[in-house]
Formats: sequence, C-alpha cells, structure tokens
Amino acid sequence: MSASTNSVPNSSTGSKKSLKAFSDDIWKNKTAKINAELFTLTYGSIVSQLCTDYERDFVKVNNQLFLMGYNIGMRLIEDFLARTALPRCESLAKTSEVVSKCAFKIFLNVTPQVGNWSSSQDAFSLFLDENPLSDFVELPMDAAKELWYSNILCGVLKGALEMVQMDCDVFFTSDVLKGDQTTELRVKLNRVLKDEIPAGED
Amino acid sequence: MAIQTILVINKSGGLVYQRDFVPNAPRLSSNEYLILAGTLQGIVAIASQITPKSLQLDGKSSARGGSEPMGNNSAPLVPYMGTLGATTANGAPLGSFLGPDYFNDAFASWNGRGLKHVTTDQNSLFVYHTLTGIKFVAVSTQPTTNAMAVAVAENLLRKTYCLYADYVMKNPFYEPEMPIKCELFDQHLGTLVKQL
Repeated sequence: MSASTNSVPNSSTGSKKSLKAFSDDIWKNKTAKINAELFTLTYGSIVSQLCTDYERDFVKVNNQLFLMGYNIGMRLIEDFLARTALPRCESLAKTSEVVSKCAFKIFLNVTPQVGNWSSSQDAFSLFLDENPLSDFVELPMDAAKELWYSNILCGVLKGALEMVQMDCDVFFTSDVLKGDQTTELRVKLNRVLKDEIPAGED
Repeated sequence: MAIQTILVINKSGGLVYQRDFVPNAPRLSSNEYLILAGTLQGIVAIASQITPKSLQLDGKSSARGGSEPMGNNSAPLVPYMGTLGATTANGAPLGSFLGPDYFNDAFASWNGRGLKHVTTDQNSLFVYHTLTGIKFVAVSTQPTTNAMAVAVAENLLRKTYCLYADYVMKNPFYEPEMPIKCELFDQHLGTLVKQL
C-alpha cells in the first residue's frame, strides 16, 4: 500500500516471507479479479458448446480442452513469472509447491494438496479440494464416463511447465463430478529440456 | 539518464520488438538492430560460459543474499525502485495488475552469470532475462556503471515484462515468437518510459 511513496530501495521487505504468504500477497494486492460465478459459467458454456460441436464425442472434447489449455498455459506462464519473479525450481518437489501454493492461488484462488509422489520422485498428484471450474456442475449420464470436465487445467499446466523447460505429462485420474472421492490431477515429469534453458542460468 | 531504445529478443535470438524513445538521437537501421539482437544472444551465451565461478550470482557460490520465498537458492535481490512508474498517481489502470505498482518487492534476478549490462563512452545497455528465454534490452543515453542506475533499469525492464505479459501474451492475435505489433503494448510502454 505504501509502495508508491517508498523511494528507498528495500531489499529485505517481503523477502523473508514464506511462499504461501508471498502468493497470498500477490493474489490479494497485485491481481485484478473477475466475478467467480461469471468465470464458472463462462467455462461451463464453453464445455457445453464443445460437446455440441463435437456431437458428444467426449474424447475429442477432452483433447480440445487440453489444447485450449495448452495454448493458454504457454502464454500464462509469462504473466505468472512477471508477477512473481520466482527463480527456477531446483527440484520437482519445489515445482509442486510453487504450482499448488502459488500458481493455483494466484489464478484460481485455491490451493490444491500435493501428494501421492511416485517412488522415483518424478510424478506427483494435485488434489483439488475445491475446483472453481466445476461449481454448479452436474454431468449428464453420457458425459460422466468419458468427459474430464476440467481438462483445460491439464493443458494449462502442460503448456506452462513446457515453457520453463519441463516436459511433463499432465492428466486427470479422478474427478468428483464422476462420482470419485477426490479430484486428482497427475503431473509426471518426463525430462528437463536442458538444451533449451536460456544461457546465463544454471 | 534517459532511455533511448527498448528491444525485445525472443528465445531464439530474433528481434521481435524495437522502439526508439529519443526522437533525434542517432539510430541504427532495422537491419542493424536485427544484427545487434543476434549478436547479443550469442554474447550472452558466451558470457555465461566464461564468467568465473567466483563472480556467478547463484547463491551456491556466494554467501550473501537473504532467503526469498524460494528458500536457499537465492541470488542477490534486485531492489525495488518505488518512484519508478508509480502509475496510480495519474489514475491509469495497470491492466491485470492491481495498483499502485506492478510489484512492490525486491526480486531475484534470473540472470545469474550472463551479461547484465554493457557500458560504452556514449551509452549503456541493460539486459533482463526471463525464465522462458526472452530478453528485454534497454539502451540509455548516458554511460553509467552505477549500481542504482542498473537497479532502475532492471526495474524498468521487469515492468516492461509485466506489460508484455498483459498486452502481448494476452493478445489473441499475437503469435508467439513473432514480431510484436500490439498498439496497447506500445502505448503503455510509452507511458512507462515517459515516467522515468
């Protein structure tokens, strides 16, 4: 709040904060917001329109949502980095923390739980306790089998991580909309694209 | 110190944006700018290879630098310059950023051991890297090696990055990696530089 009057370079304020406090601050004070219901309903109408357009071929709908997400993610990562200026994560554990506590917080105001690590530490799951995309949603019988309603999120993560040189597979393994207990989003790191890391960093 | 030129270089070293701010300063031809961008890309890569270990700024080799949100892996922070482009003073909105400024904290530089700035007798040139490989370059009208000026330039370039995220990446007609022709970006960048 006092930022504009503060002309003295301060190198310490805020730098001791935890990642959670850091992202809370960015979400609260630095990010313009829109009405959550408008957002939910807009997404809902996109999915419903896709189902009509693809004549209820839900595999195609899933793919299309993923592709849309991918294109969003590739661009959204710049917004995320401009906003946070976080350095490169040194491990996938750190990445998972940044994705859940920072990225999801800033863009969707939720903090999914990280868990279900694979034994080789190259895959983790995000448990979405609340999913702003799927408020008010009930899937019709025919869609409940195949449609991953929030598949756009997978695409966004895939696109965003790829732009910071992490080649990942991202997919849903369960969704409360389908009657599962939890909404679980799996992220599996295939490899770090070392050749593409810009010069000047490790 | 005034900003003479701002360049944006994409991750493959191509010049995607170039704009002069000083009307009657000597300027390069567009072809020369393209060459400059390509050369910079190469020099940054070489510089990062030949920087002595003791000068690298990536926390592992230096003891300084506090713990920012990412914990131990901390490069020295670039201080936040509050007076620079505090835009709510004139009520202009900051796109998807809530006022009073784009950010209000010191931030870690992504450029641990690459080229940061170049000083000649007439000009200084500042480079800001992003994690995705884009480079923002500012050329100033005066030579300077002063740490304050470098910090101001880094702040300016990070703000340029914020504008880029808002008005270039969110422009559906913009294709990634292609030259930037976005009116809103031009407009806001102009305002930002004018406030300096």
